[in-house]
Parts: sequence; structure tokens; C-alpha cells
Amino acid sequence: MNGQNDILEALYRRMILVRFMEETHDRLLKEGKIQLMGHFGTGQEAVAVGVTGPLRQEDILFGTHRGVGEFIGKGMAPKDIWLEYMGKKDSPCHGKGGLHLCDRERNIPGLVATLGSDFSIAVGTALASKMKGTDQVTLYFVGEGTCNQADAHPSMCMAALWKLPIVFSVCTNQFCELSYMCDHYPTGDVAPRAAAYDIPFEIVDGQDIEKTYEATRKAVEHARGGNGPYLVEYKTYRMATHFSGDPGTYVNRDELEEWGRRDPIVLCREMLLERGILSEEEDRKLRDGIQAEVDEAVEAAFAAPDPGIEDLFKDVYSGEGVIQ
Amino acid sequence: MSRTITFSQALNEAMAEEMRRDPGVFVMGEDVRVSAFGQTAGLVDEFGEERVLNTPIAENAITGAAMGAAMSGLRPVLELMFMDFTMLAMDQLCNNLGQWRYITGGQYTIPLTIRTACGAGMRMGYGHSQCLQSQLIQAPGLMIVEPSTPYDAKGLLKAAIRSDDPVIVVESKKLIFGGVEGEVPEEDYTLPFGEAVVRKEGKDVTVAAVGFMTYEALGAAQALAEEGVDVEVIDLRSIVPMDKETLFASVEKTGRLVTVEEGRIRGGIGAEIAALASGEYFSLLKAPVQRVAAPMVPIAGSPALEDLYLPNKDTIVRAVRRTL
Ligand SMILES: Cc1ncc(C[n+]2csc(CCOP(=O)(O)OP(=O)(O)O)c2C)c(N)n1
Repeated sequence: MNGQNDILEALYRRMILVRFMEETHDRLLKEGKIQLMGHFGTGQEAVAVGVTGPLRQEDILFGTHRGVGEFIGKGMAPKDIWLEYMGKKDSPCHGKGGLHLCDRERNIPGLVATLGSDFSIAVGTALASKMKGTDQVTLYFVGEGTCNQADAHPSMCMAALWKLPIVFSVCTNQFCELSYMCDHYPTGDVAPRAAAYDIPFEIVDGQDIEKTYEATRKAVEHARGGNGPYLVEYKTYRMATHFSGDPGTYVNRDELEEWGRRDPIVLCREMLLERGILSEEEDRKLRDGIQAEVDEAVEAAFAAPDPGIEDLFKDVYSGEGVIQ
Repeated sequence: MSRTITFSQALNEAMAEEMRRDPGVFVMGEDVRVSAFGQTAGLVDEFGEERVLNTPIAENAITGAAMGAAMSGLRPVLELMFMDFTMLAMDQLCNNLGQWRYITGGQYTIPLTIRTACGAGMRMGYGHSQCLQSQLIQAPGLMIVEPSTPYDAKGLLKAAIRSDDPVIVVESKKLIFGGVEGEVPEEDYTLPFGEAVVRKEGKDVTVAAVGFMTYEALGAAQALAEEGVDVEVIDLRSIVPMDKETLFASVEKTGRLVTVEEGRIRGGIGAEIAALASGEYFSLLKAPVQRVAAPMVPIAGSPALEDLYLPNKDTIVRAVRRTL
């Protein structure tokens, strides 16, 4: 990363924020304080934060259901996330989004519920950027399980055919809901599918923040330069179960432990300490500060008002009237 | 000044004029450059390939791509060639398209127009002939209009393109292929959604028809006039929103209601209108509401069977008699 210590430190900070946000979510669920189930991305922070690191504010991000990683990475405020998760009136979606985070200011157009529907929607935002002559890039972040949706193919096809500024970032976390990837794929990798559409691709270690960032930076640059789409596959491991209510009976414990030794936050921390970018003391302070930030955001969201009947019929259509 | 043009020409003019007026408007779909049925023919000569975009054959994905472009502020006019094919895009149409604005709390609007051709009688068989409007009326956030004259076609399509909401414009193949002509002004105009038109006034029975069926209803009214029955024919023009006021005013006068649509009877538009009438003005009704619609069978290849399947003037006459 050419000695860009500041970037590395910022990425590290974001990874911790993501981890703490999700740990807090888990705790609030267990305490019965919030209702929205969580799909945590523990162990995948270097992917979510690494892929969003090279994006500009005007770039467009489509994220996934798995945790808050890419949303934090794209700059969404913890408070807005909690407001949305708790369904509060002043959330970016005025209590309508729930799990489905959206933040227009940061060019996050929303998160679909039906996996893979947004493959083509992302192609559409990239098409618009090209037609309007902007130099925005769309980054489509997706799990390997979702890449089996039929629309993956015409979407990659259109992106290549029209040479669109889009990066497909595939987060291969070894699981597709309650089963292993090998139940879903006859191959070990997803990325070579891009070759069918003449889309260049790369497979990288998803535990190493320098690698995820750098591979994505190159891909984004490629797309921004008018060279068409690029696909990057990141190999990582879902250290959480599928969702907060899943006991994970199907998880191979030895494997989990083995991947746990390559926890991306621990790896990044060791690197920062080793290179003298961060001291133990600074790290402790950093973590305390981040937890305080999360707690403060949670408190503010708890105190915020719920939407009411006046919001139920609002924003179905652009006009004022109610259409039944 | 007005002149006589065909239904198809009216649609073509609407798109051309809107593309001239607003550089954000563009047409996309399967073979829209050559245009299988002629509605988009010639547009490519004036506007170029970039604004008349041929797409791969992938209805759900091209609908998603059009949505994405619309989210980014463009105004795509997407053609889904046959209404039967809209079923391949049901995920986008029913899960996402009409709900995006609401779920994002109004942060994103989707000014997308989708044109699709419906209807039997062309001997095209089971998967190229259906009227599936009622499949779409359950989806919140969509507007659905169905013109029956060139004047309405142009006015409604132009309004759809300018609308900030997603609008589905249903075009009957009998009107396109039948070369139906009508007076259309040369000056710019749009028509509002949710306004039905009384095509023939009458005092005995209200017949509320959708799209091409308006002509069959007018034929039935003429036949019934010879028997001394004075039928009022309403052309709904807009399925969502429905013009409840015009319907109510008519039934208030006649006390008898017959609905006519080309789609199938179960859970159809007629069922919706009948439920509305019995729920909101039951006491005005002098007879049970009668529904004229297609039976719950597929559309056969045999011309003889296809003709037996279709609602027509005679089935409408019989339904009207049942209310007397
Ligand atoms: C169309 C659709 N099918 C199934 C689901 C249920 N579902 C939710 S998450 C998930 C697993 C997705 O796997 P992957 O894309 O690898 O992402 P991961 O959960 O591993 O992050 C499934 C099957 C869904 N939400 N939508």
C-alpha cells in the first residue's frame, strides 16, 4: 500500500467499529432490547471494509444483509444504522428500511430482500453513470451463495457488453446460509465465471486488509478508467452463524478455530504494531473511543421517536394522495 | 390541430417527443431498434443507439437495469415485449419496483415506464396472448394504465414518462396490429392517471371495460339499444389508480354494474370492482354485479378454441341481460 499508514490506520479503525457494532447488536438482541435479527459478518471485516475503502462518496454501493461492514466502510453513521435497525422515524428511511439500509447522501441506494435482485439494479446505476458521463463507479458487493441467482449472468453480460463502470466484489465466506459452499458449487471459486463474459478477475486473500484494499483499488481504477467491469473474489470465513438465531450445528469446529487464528482485525493489529504505526496504548484508547461512539449512537437511537400512522401511507407514491 | 394516426404511431410519437424534450429519457428493451411490433421503430435513427438500447433476452435483469438507471435520475422506457414475459420479471415488478421508494423513505424515486403488449386473438398461442394485469394490481407503488385509443395512448404514455412513479402501460395487441386509428392533436398534452372516460352515456346498466374490451362493450351497447336497454360504457383507462368517482356516479344512476376485461376471471379486475361496489355502495345495486372475463383455462392454439375463450360483444350482452 506504498506506506500509506494513514489509510491503513483508518481501515483498522473501521474494522473495529464494524466488529463492535455487530457485537453490540448481538448483545442487545440477547438482552431482549431490540427485535431485528442480525446476520453478522464476524471475521469478514477486512473484506467489507477493504472493498469500500477505495470508493469515493459519489461512487455507488450495493451491500448485503451480512452485517454493517460495507455500510460503515462507505461512511454510514452508526447512529443512522441504529435508527434504521430500531425502525425509528428519523432514520434515513424514516423507519421503513429495517435491515435494508439505504443512505442517499452516501450513494447507497438500498439493500434488497430477495437475494440477487440487485445484481441487475447495480448494472443499471452503472449504465446511468456511463450515459450521464460521470466518472462514478458502482460497486456490487455480493455473497458467493447469491452468485447462483440466474440474474448474475445477464448482469455480468450487460456490464461487459456495454463496458460499464462496475466492480463485482464477491465475498466468499464458505457458507451459503446453513450449508457449505461445496453444497452449492461444483467448483471452488466463483470468479472464473467472469471469464465467460470477458470480464477480468482476481482472487485474493480476504483476511488481509492490505490485499483486499489494493485489489479493489485496482479494480475500481480499471472501471473508472472506462475499461469496463472487473470482478474480485475475496476468500474469507464467516465466523458467526448465519443469523442471530442460528446455533450453527452444521459448522466444523476445527475449521472455525483454524480460521479464527487468522482473524483479520488481529492480523491488522499485529501488522500496525510491528510497523510502529500504532502502540498498545493507542490501540486501547482507540477501542475505548470506538465502543463509546457505538454506545452513544445506541442510546440516541433508543431515545428517538417511532414513526406513526402519518408515516404508514407516506412515500408509496410521489404524490400526496393515498391510492388503495 | 389534430390529425388521424394509428395507436402504434401515437405511442411512437409520445416516446419521440419525450426524448426530444428530456435528454434523460431513453428507450430500452429486446430489439427496440428494429421493433417487432413497430412502436419504437425509427427512434434509433433520430436518437442513436445509446438512447435506443437493445438488451439481452433476460426480462428480470433488464427490468432491474432499467430500475437502477431510473434510481440514478434517468427516465427509461422499458419494453417487455409480451405481457406474458412480465412474469419473468415478477421479482422486480412485485418485490422491488413499486416498493423501493417506500422502503427507502422517499430517498430514491424510480421514474420508470414499462410498456408491454397484451391480448389474444392473434393466433399466437398460450404464452404470447395473455392479459395479466390482475397479477400486478397486488403490488403497491405501481401505476397501471391501459389506453384504448391513440389519443389516450399518447397522453397516458407521455404522462407515464414524466411521472416520478413507476408506471406500467399496457398496450393491447389488437389495437397495435388492428391499425386502430384516431384523432390526436399535434400539440403537446398529457392525460392524468385515475380518470376513466364515459364512452357512451346510458341510464339502465353500467358497463366498466378495460382497454380493447371497451370496443366490445360499445358493440354490446349498440345491440342492446335495439332491445331498448340503454347501456353506459365506461373505459377505465387507468387500472391503478381506479377512478372510483366515475364508477360510483354511473352506478348511482343505473343501479346495475357489469365489468369487462380480457384477463381471466379469478381474482381479476372485475372481482376488485365488484368487491368495491358491494362494500361501498351495495344499497345502490338493483342486481348482483356481473363479471365478464376469460375463463380459467390456458389459451389454446386452435383459432376455434381461442375465439371461444375470449370475452366479446355477445358475452357482454348476456351479462347485461342477467342484471335486468
Ligand atoms: C431470493 C432469496 N432466496 C433465499 C433467501 C434466504 N437467504 C438469506 S441469506 C441467504 C444466504 C446467502 O448466502 P451468500 O450469498 O453466500 O451470503 P452470506 O449469507 O454467506 O453472507 C439465503 C439463502 C433470500 N433472502 N432471498
